[in-house]
Formats: sequence, C-alpha cells, structure tokens
Amino acid sequence: MMEEKRTTKRLQANTALRQVITDFYEDAHRAKAEGRPVGWIPPMNGLIELFYSMDIHPIFPENWAPLCAAIGTNTSNFAHAARRGYSSDLCGYFRNNIGYALDGITGENQPLGGLPEPDFLISFGAGCIPTMKTFQVLCDHFDVPVFKADLPQVAMEDIAPHHIQYGVTQIKRLIEFLEGLTGKRFDIDRLRQAVAYTDEACRTWDEIMDARRAIPAPFSAAEIGIMFVMVTRHGTKIAVDFLRDVLVEVRGKVERGEGVIPDERLRLFWDNIPLWYNMRLFNYFEKWDAVVVAETYTSAWTMRMDPDRPLESIAYKSLVSYPMVSCVSLNKRIELIKKAVSDYGVDGAILHSNMSCKPISMGQLDIQRVLRDELSVPSVMFDGDHMDAGKFSMAQFQTRIDAFMEMLLERKGMR
Amino acid sequence: MRVMGRPPLSFAELSERHRDIISVERSRSDRLVVGTMCSYVPVELLHSFGIQPVRIWGQSDDPGKADALLQTFVCPPVRHLMALGLEGRYDFLDGIVHCYTCDATCGLFNIWVRNLRPRFSHLVSLPYTAIDEALAYTMAEFGVLIEKLESFTQTRFSPESLGSSVALYNEARALMKNVYNLKGRGLPISYVDMHAMNVCSQVLPVEAFIAYLRDYLEAAKWTGPASEKRRRFLLSGSVITDNALMAFVEGLGVEIVADDTCLGLRLLQGAIGEGEPLESLARYYLTRPPCASRADFPSRKSYLVETLAEHGIDAVVFVHQKFCDPHLSDHPFLKGVLDEAEIPSMQLELEGEGFTGQARTRIESFLEMLETR
Repeated sequence: MMEEKRTTKRLQANTALRQVITDFYEDAHRAKAEGRPVGWIPPMNGLIELFYSMDIHPIFPENWAPLCAAIGTNTSNFAHAARRGYSSDLCGYFRNNIGYALDGITGENQPLGGLPEPDFLISFGAGCIPTMKTFQVLCDHFDVPVFKADLPQVAMEDIAPHHIQYGVTQIKRLIEFLEGLTGKRFDIDRLRQAVAYTDEACRTWDEIMDARRAIPAPFSAAEIGIMFVMVTRHGTKIAVDFLRDVLVEVRGKVERGEGVIPDERLRLFWDNIPLWYNMRLFNYFEKWDAVVVAETYTSAWTMRMDPDRPLESIAYKSLVSYPMVSCVSLNKRIELIKKAVSDYGVDGAILHSNMSCKPISMGQLDIQRVLRDELSVPSVMFDGDHMDAGKFSMAQFQTRIDAFMEMLLERKGMR
Repeated sequence: MRVMGRPPLSFAELSERHRDIISVERSRSDRLVVGTMCSYVPVELLHSFGIQPVRIWGQSDDPGKADALLQTFVCPPVRHLMALGLEGRYDFLDGIVHCYTCDATCGLFNIWVRNLRPRFSHLVSLPYTAIDEALAYTMAEFGVLIEKLESFTQTRFSPESLGSSVALYNEARALMKNVYNLKGRGLPISYVDMHAMNVCSQVLPVEAFIAYLRDYLEAAKWTGPASEKRRRFLLSGSVITDNALMAFVEGLGVEIVADDTCLGLRLLQGAIGEGEPLESLARYYLTRPPCASRADFPSRKSYLVETLAEHGIDAVVFVHQKFCDPHLSDHPFLKGVLDEAEIPSMQLELEGEGFTGQARTRIESFLEMLETR
C-alpha cells in the first residue's frame, strides 16, 4: 500500500482566515454586549447584505455546524438533539444546531465563546427542509421576535420576474421589521455599497477558482475553508480584502508553477459537502499525485450582483443560491459539473453520497451516468455524512478510492 | 362502476386497481392523463384543460429497482414510486406536474423527468405565507402553468371551464367530508374504506368519483350506528398507505376517525371560494391547512389542536417513513403538544419493509397502555 503524503503547501491565507473567523465571532459577542441586535438567519441568501447595511450582526447556525464538527463538539450536540427526541437520520446540521441552541449553548468554555443568543430570528421558507425546520425549532425555543420570511423554491433556470418581484416584496417587509426592531432608518445607499462588496467578492471568488485551472493546481479542496467569508462576510469589505489577498497569493503560486502537488498527475472533481470533521481527507489523494481542483459546493457563489438594483440583486441571490447546488435545479447542476470537468481538465470525479443532505445527493447517480456516457470521465461514489463521523467508514472509503485512483492512473498510462 | 360500465366496485377495489383502470381508460380515450406528485398541485387547473389528473405515490415497502437512481437514505415511498416508474407502471401518463414541498419529492421529480422523459413536466413553486403579495405571486405562478398547458393541449385557458372544474372538486371534497362526519358519528365505516375513498379521489375522474360518492352516502344512510363506543384515534404522517396497519389498529377496537396526512382530511378542509376562479383557486391553496413541509410549528399546532377537539380524539398514532425530514423534524414538537393536552401518542417508523410484526407488537402495547389509564 502506498504511503500517505502530508501536504505542506497550505495557503498562507489560512493564517488570515483564522483571524477572520475569530473576528466574526468576537464582533458578534461585542454587538451583543453593546446592545446592538444579533439576528440568527438561514445561510446563502441576500439577507446578509441587508443586515450589514443596517448594523445588525448576522449569525448563521449552519456555518457554526462545520466549526463544531472540526472542533469535535458536534457529538455532544447530537446527543442533546437525541435526548430531545430527534431522529439520528435527520441532517447533521439540523441535529448539531438544535442540540447546540437548545442545550449546548449554556456550556462553559466554548470555542470562540460560543454563539450569542439571538435578539430576533428569521424563519422560514427557502432553502432545504432541515434548514426550515432548524429555524422552526429555534423560533419555538427562543422567546424573541420572529420575522417570517418567505421565498419559494424555484429551479434557477425557471426564475421569472414574478419570483424576483415577490422576493423584493419580502425584503421590503423585512426592512420594515428591522427598522422597527432597531429604531434606525434603512439607507439604500448603504445597501448599494454592501451589494457592491458582495459583487466584488463573487467576482474575486471566480478569479480564485479560475486560477485552479493551472497545472499544477495552486490549491486543493482542502482550502475550502476560505468560503467562510462568502457565507458570513458578504456585504462587507472584509470579504473583498481577504479574497484579494487570496487571489494575489494564488496567482503568485500559478506564476511560479507551485502546485499542491509538484508533479501533478491526476485532477479530481468533488461533488457534495466536505466531511467537516475530516478535512484531511482531501490530502489522501496526494499519494497518487492527485489533487481536487473543483467542487460543486464552491460554485454556489458564482453570481453577479447589481448595486444599482440592490433589492432585486439580493432577491435574486436569495432565490438562486440553494437551487444552484441542489436537486432543485438538477439539469443546471449537471451543466455546471460538465463545464467544470472541461474547464479544469478533470480526470475523475469523487461523489460524496451524503446522508445528511438529500437535496445535494439526489441526482448523483444521474451525474455519474452523464460523466461516464457524455464525457467519458470515470467517477466513484462513497457513503458518508458531512457532520457525523459515525456514518463514514474510512476503511471503505480507502478501499474504493484506492481502486479508483489506480484505475485512473492506468487509464492515463501512468502506471 | 360507472367508469367501467360494470357492476359497482368498492372504493377498496377501485383504489387497488386504479393504475390498471386508468391505463385501460387512457388507451380507449384521447383524454390526456397527467401524474401529480403532491396534493398541492392545482388539479382543478389541469381538469379545466380536459386533462385527467392522477396522483402518484409509492408505498412504504419494496423499493425494488430504485437503486439505480436513488440512494437508500431517501424515504421508502419516494424510492418505491421511482421503482414503479422504472417498471413502466406509469407509462400511460402523458406528463407530470409537481409542487415543491419536500426535498425528496422535488429530487424525485427532477430525476423522474430526466430518466422517464414525460412529454410534459412542470414544477409549481408556491409561497409559504398567505399575504396579499403571495396571492398575486401564486396567480402568476399558476399563469406560468396555464401558459404551458395551453401549448401542450393546444387549448385556450377558460375561466368558465376552471369555474366548472372548481365546482366539481368542491362537491367531491364536501361529499368526502360527509363520509368522515358519518364515521365520526359512529357509523360503521372502516378507515380502510375511507382511505380507499381518499385514494380514489386522487386517481379517478372526478365526475365518476362524485357519482360513486353519492351512491356510497345514500347507502350509508341506511346503515345503523355501531353499538359499542370505541376509542377515537387520529393518524398522522405523510403518505400512509398501509391498509394492513389501518385494519390492524381498527381490529383492536379502535376507530380512526381523523387523520393529518397528505391524503386525507386536511385536503377536505375549506372550499374554493366563489368569485374569479383563478384567484379563488390561488387563495385556496395558500390557506389550506398546511403540510409538514410547508407549515411552521404554530400552524401545525393550531390545526392539530383544532382537529383533536373537533373529532374528540383519544390518542394519536404517528406513522412516519424512515428518512422523512419534515415529519421526523416535527414529531418532538407535536408530541409535546399532545403531552400538554394529555393525549397519548405513539410513533411508528416504517423502514421500507411495510407493516411488520414489530409494528404490530408496538401498537398492541400502546393499546394495552391505554386500557390501564
């Protein structure tokens, strides 16, 4: 058996990222301490720009979950959820977040100081069922004002003016709610600025991702943590500055021909959410001089925002982010993967069949067939879970991946 | 039965054979048949275009051939329905329409369309609130479906035709509600029969179904009430299709007088109002008691509490499908509501093996527990 290599070529940006993460949670606690409102909201929507433009600190339980998995507090949160009667078949984000919010939040010595309790909540509609249900549980638990946001699930290729218009209606309702809550007037120019930051962040994000077309690839999926700013700091200069630094670093690597693997032999595509408790898994491919150069999940930020139409832009973002990477838009998702395979020169695809995420996992068997029949790209699927290590077997993963990688090398005449 | 021109069949027989009946009818007539995957699809609109809507769903057992397209952690009914599609059991459908409710069925819809390639397909995306703007949105959303149906059927949309279709569905739902009321008053109507009636309402031509219902209600008038007073149960879950389970529960001296499922009483609450038919239709679908995939906790609680009181419920049986996110997520909350109301409940989770011996034992234990209260 080949020996596992340990990568030493992580991006320098990871040092800055650690500070960005720390700052985000420190800011939240500071806001709470200073009496500025903290709102807990679902991820991947245009509310974040609105919040930052109104000096409201957003908290994303879904973003807290990967941190819990990385730190290892997910298992105690799962236990809290189980004691409350929630099935272990439910999404790991859901079980972690409600376990944490209902019981874990009162624990001592929490990493990053834990989450500040919400002053208000945004529920429900839009996103997947586990996200919707997470917020329903939170709304039932916390005795705080609740805004019922509403956004239908529409395949992104079907988004029509009436969908955008309805989204704008919802945002206007929310603005009224937030004005009432904060006693501050909404300023559309500040929202325009926030939207401009997001647009710039998305543009820079695309450039960073484009840099991975280079051979050797300057970074792998192991660096997916940089996505933190796309989830939590959209609408701010923090995201733009961080990503610009990442872009400079990545381009420098490309210019110098520095790759994750110096003698890169295989380029891989990763479908579905990573295993947040085992990010080193991405390094496992390095013993075959293989690197994951593109993923489905990172495509969720490939969009443009128009600062001149800020309400429409954040409505569109709210409508499109979830369908883009889920089975709501299966055909679009397949198109996206086909394009990535071609753009990034992918030799093989790894599909994480993720027990915690039906919307992203459903359709993977179709994706495999398209890869095989239309693109002649081999793929392998393994069973796992993005939050729950108990639903992933490293031994089974290795058995499948080892055989798959040997086959890819054979196919390229590299054995 | 009128549809077949033969002696009447029972609801149970009709529901059991519905796929074959529709398949034969489809081959005899030029009426288009469109499958619907969820109770939120506006069947009245399809009907107004001369289309026969046919609800399609899977059982909680034997997912069969679905493995080629769906992972094993998708709920059994969705996997089973995919298997039926792959086996050609729905080849008679001319198209398929879905309304986004749960993630698994939405995934199924897209996978079905990619693999079985129906001539017509459409996904309706409803909002989750009933504010004025949601009404305008829903009418626009129905407008998109209308446009596609006009092109598919080569027929112009007619508000009058929609009005007629609405009147038929209103009548069918009112008659069905009567059957629930009769059972509630003690008439010896089995829940298996009532479930079969619910199934028939989703799969038979509404005109024939109404005629059948009228006959059924007429005959029921001459039936005396059951002599003994029995415990009154409510079934709660998504699509509960296990006749054996229903029969077993009622065989233990219980009456299932109400349900909160995707195929029962919830669909019969309220009627489509008078006035401009499209607007009334939109309002109806927005204000109907919501399912787990569309409701927030307060709405689910208020509907459950109302139903418990209206039907004098003594106990609740939750029948959940394994991996069903909406219902499994709601269960601890709803159980809390029942505990507060001091109404006992039990939860069965079906794992794709149908109604098993283990489930029987648990139901028997639950009944024994109730006896000792």
